[in-house]
Amino acid sequence: MNTSFLLFALLNPAFALLAAPLYMALIRKVKAYAQGRKGPKLFQVYYDLRKLMHKEAVYSPTSSWVMRLTPCLNLTALLACSLFVPLIFVPEPAGGFGNVIVFLYLLALERFFTALSGLDAGSAFGGMGSSRSMSLAAVIEPTMVVAFAALAFVLKSLNLHEMFALTAGSLLPASPTLVLVSISLFIILIVETGRLPVDNPATHLELTMINEAMILEQTGKNLALLELAHAIKQLLLMGVLINTILPIGLSAEADAGKIAVSALLFLLKAGVLAVVIGLFESALAKMRLFRLPAFYMMAFFFSALTILIEVFA
Amino acid sequence: MDMKKNKDTMDLLSEISGMAGEEPELLSARTDEAYVRLSEAGFERAALALAEKKFSLIGLFCAEAFEKESGFTLFYAFKKAGRAHVLVLVREAGRAAGREGKAAHGAVSSVAEIFPSASWFEREVRDGFGLEFSGAFDTRRLFLHECYPEGFHPLQKTFKNGPISLRKPEAGKNPEEYRFRETKGEGVYQVAVGPVHAGIIEPGHFRFNVIGEPIFSLEIRLFYKHRGIEKLAEGKSPLECVPLAEAVSGDESAANAVGFCTAVERASGIAVPERAECLRAVLLELERVYSLLGDLAGMAVDVGFSLVASPFFILREEVFRQNEKLTGSRFLRGIMVPGGLKKDISGPALEELPPFLAKFSRTFESAFERAMSSSSLIDRFATTGVVKKELVAPLNLTGPLAKASGCPADTRLDRPYGAYRRLSPEPSVKKGGDVLSRFEVKADEIRASVKLIKRLLEEMPSGPVFAENGPAAGEEARSDVRPGYSGPSGYSIALVESPRGQNLHWVYLKNGRIDRYKVRTASFCNWQAIEHAVLGNIVPDFPVINKSLNMSYAGTDL
Repeated sequence: MNTSFLLFALLNPAFALLAAPLYMALIRKVKAYAQGRKGPKLFQVYYDLRKLMHKEAVYSPTSSWVMRLTPCLNLTALLACSLFVPLIFVPEPAGGFGNVIVFLYLLALERFFTALSGLDAGSAFGGMGSSRSMSLAAVIEPTMVVAFAALAFVLKSLNLHEMFALTAGSLLPASPTLVLVSISLFIILIVETGRLPVDNPATHLELTMINEAMILEQTGKNLALLELAHAIKQLLLMGVLINTILPIGLSAEADAGKIAVSALLFLLKAGVLAVVIGLFESALAKMRLFRLPAFYMMAFFFSALTILIEVFA
Repeated sequence: MDMKKNKDTMDLLSEISGMAGEEPELLSARTDEAYVRLSEAGFERAALALAEKKFSLIGLFCAEAFEKESGFTLFYAFKKAGRAHVLVLVREAGRAAGREGKAAHGAVSSVAEIFPSASWFEREVRDGFGLEFSGAFDTRRLFLHECYPEGFHPLQKTFKNGPISLRKPEAGKNPEEYRFRETKGEGVYQVAVGPVHAGIIEPGHFRFNVIGEPIFSLEIRLFYKHRGIEKLAEGKSPLECVPLAEAVSGDESAANAVGFCTAVERASGIAVPERAECLRAVLLELERVYSLLGDLAGMAVDVGFSLVASPFFILREEVFRQNEKLTGSRFLRGIMVPGGLKKDISGPALEELPPFLAKFSRTFESAFERAMSSSSLIDRFATTGVVKKELVAPLNLTGPLAKASGCPADTRLDRPYGAYRRLSPEPSVKKGGDVLSRFEVKADEIRASVKLIKRLLEEMPSGPVFAENGPAAGEEARSDVRPGYSGPSGYSIALVESPRGQNLHWVYLKNGRIDRYKVRTASFCNWQAIEHAVLGNIVPDFPVINKSLNMSYAGTDL
């Protein structure tokens, strides 16, 4: 352990925790404007979370410990993930932190427990959501592995910290192939956060839900924790994409001034990305459930192409 | 009732006598409506022959003490698409089971195997009047759920409106417990949805049998919002009854009010002035426009495409505001009365309409263009939720639903009423039967309605808006609300084309008061289509299929 990493371990998760809900709100705002509405205030998400934190959790009589454990476990897993993706500065490598494989498995753990808790409450919709989520995971997980493998190939490391230390500060992506990987990463971001055209986060139609169906039975503070975990997941995946395609301003030194500039720039870049996601969501209808693998295949294709280029070029 | 035995009626009578193999007894007739009584054997022969000739059973209802002291009379209303005539076969059903639950006296035979649309009608009559239909394939309760006590039949004249004690349904113990179709097999499971849903939607229960995502059977159970409208109407004067008709279904308020008023006007021989007819048509078409705009927006929302939905929502709101300027009510309520309109619509409000409609058309076309140019939207709509053409006549499907399945039937064209006798809308028809066809047909209907409103406004006659011989003419207008009021007797059917299709209103007046009022909205029949439309589709596509059919729950459950 070094001081740089200790500082990172304090600042990065705190930053992720505080900033994550803002981008949920920003995407919602962009979508509202696209429809000619004003939409809720940006800080409404924080008020909602506070409100939920004060509400008691209600459990279905058929539910077990899974339902009670999942919210804490998911948030813990995602906070652990936030030690892997440098958002405000890149620390000096420390131990296994930043390992891509551990990162992917932490995300898988979160997905696994969300699916279990969907089944746990014993409602028809939870089971439906879990079954859909798991069958789609069978396609998107290999795609994610390939995309991150491509990233590792291009940046010559299996450690996210080392990868982004390489790109940090430069204006343009380190290699043109990173643009291809970024397309994959964008699709993964959309899929993992359950956004259109994969899943509609704004819908009330239980029969069409995937992610929302699994947390339909969650209430009160448990729901708040799950929503927070979801928001952090979105921010971290946004972070990976931003650090890959637009690393400008990302500091590789643990200097107070540079961290501040780096954090501010990240907020700005993430804001732009949130606008892009909001517009992307507005411009498409939800895909048919069985057509989704084709959408994932695009991500797979671009990642596989990157690996081929890297191997043969 | 006057016996205008015109040529059509005579033709129909000879046709019937050929079908039934006997001479029918003509009870009464109008130019487009005939009441015929046959022997039991003759009725059964005629029913088979009518089904063969592609007649639809558009209504089956019952009345107690109809033109006699006691006993029940059943009315089977038949109509063929494209023909104006409604043929009503009248059948005596004798006495029903008493409140003690004794077996019905003289059960009549069911026609549900010949006319599938009869199944719900017969169950409705059974619940309301306690008449049993022998040989029916489905004898479960319909609108009175198992919480209502046994032998409770609210439409019998012996039942007076008042509180009743409901029973607590206990699973397994109630002989009348509602049993859903059961399915067995490997990997088959049931998904129960509703009656309470997550959004602000009406209640309805959907029982899916699925293998993974594909649906292989669906059963719907509705009637969670029974308000007793038909019972409430009994004993009221026509004027008092209009708000009841308007309450049948929110976004069909004007259509149902006009349907009710037309039935009363026909039954008591009131001639509505031309200006009132034209204004009614303007309001009916405005209702169609806002109602269908809601459908278009809803379909886009259900596939998560809010960018396409929002312009339709905005236009719908603008139409609501025009409605308010015209009538004082966003839902066009409180203006229709038997005999015409309660008040004339002021010139300035009418003059505002043509420029509004011109602007409306431009925005609508660009919004529709945006929808149809999106491949992701088309991909979701095309081939989803197909309603086959063969279902249209047996189930009496009407409205945009039938038009999207290749049947251009429209009450405004087939059996024009009011101003539609002079001006008719452009027909629209699509062959696909899928969600996309319904989306396009509904857009076509909106365009046709806008054109029709423009023409109506151009040719708007001047003059009174209330019939001279109306039930509420002059200053004593509100006098028919007073207890001692009496007026003419008679009965008649009125068919109107609501935004959802053909609505049937039957009014039986005894001394100017409503003795029996029967409403059958298009939704009542159209609901049956959904069980067929979803077959082979996947569960997540159900909401958009449901929205594309957009039936009213309240309009089904009176």
